[in-house]
Amino acid sequence: MPKRALPIGNCIRALRAEHEDMTQQHLADRIGVTRQTIIAIEASKYSPSLEVAFRIADVFGVPLESVFQYLPERTA
Amino acid sequence: MNASFVEKSVWVQVTALIAVLGGYFWTAKQMFMAGVMDIRAYVAVFAVSVVMLVIVLVAGHIVVAITSRGDFSDERDRLIAWRAEALSSWVMGIGILSAISAMIVGVETVLVAHLLLLSLLLSEILANGLRILFYRRGV
Repeated sequence: MPKRALPIGNCIRALRAEHEDMTQQHLADRIGVTRQTIIAIEASKYSPSLEVAFRIADVFGVPLESVFQYLPERTA
Repeated sequence: MNASFVEKSVWVQVTALIAVLGGYFWTAKQMFMAGVMDIRAYVAVFAVSVVMLVIVLVAGHIVVAITSRGDFSDERDRLIAWRAEALSSWVMGIGILSAISAMIVGVETVLVAHLLLLSLLLSEILANGLRILFYRRGV
């Protein structure tokens, strides 16, 4: 099945690694979504709501733009 | 399968719908070909199918709950459900319009009723199929 990458990139995986190898489950529990949603966000298969995006940035203590990047070249 | 409780639930629903109600429609077709035109005969078979569907759904969800980590529904699940419903509701609409047209031209009640049931079933299968697609491909 073809997988579609959305034009919103992120560095959540790297940020988790920087934060004592935080697990996807731990991050999911902190922001109130399922682990599968974190997996989908990391793989750019789902663009989270603004609220969840801010929550993720808040967990890592960084601004939103340090977590998510707009990648217009991915727009087909 | 790396899937949430909700996605596994969708798999259970689509499988149960195809297996049980598909079986009902196969039986109904056999009955119709045999010349059964009394809708009450079909109602009895349909009632049995609905009971079977409920049993299969309950059993399937018990298995899914045991194999899941106590997940819940989140914003991604809701978005996927909304999109799937929006893209599949036209099937039910076409079925209703076709059934009304069939009634106007005097088609057998048995056929009209099954046209409505079939459109409901196909609409649900399409909605669940789209949900699975969105879970796997992304949304």
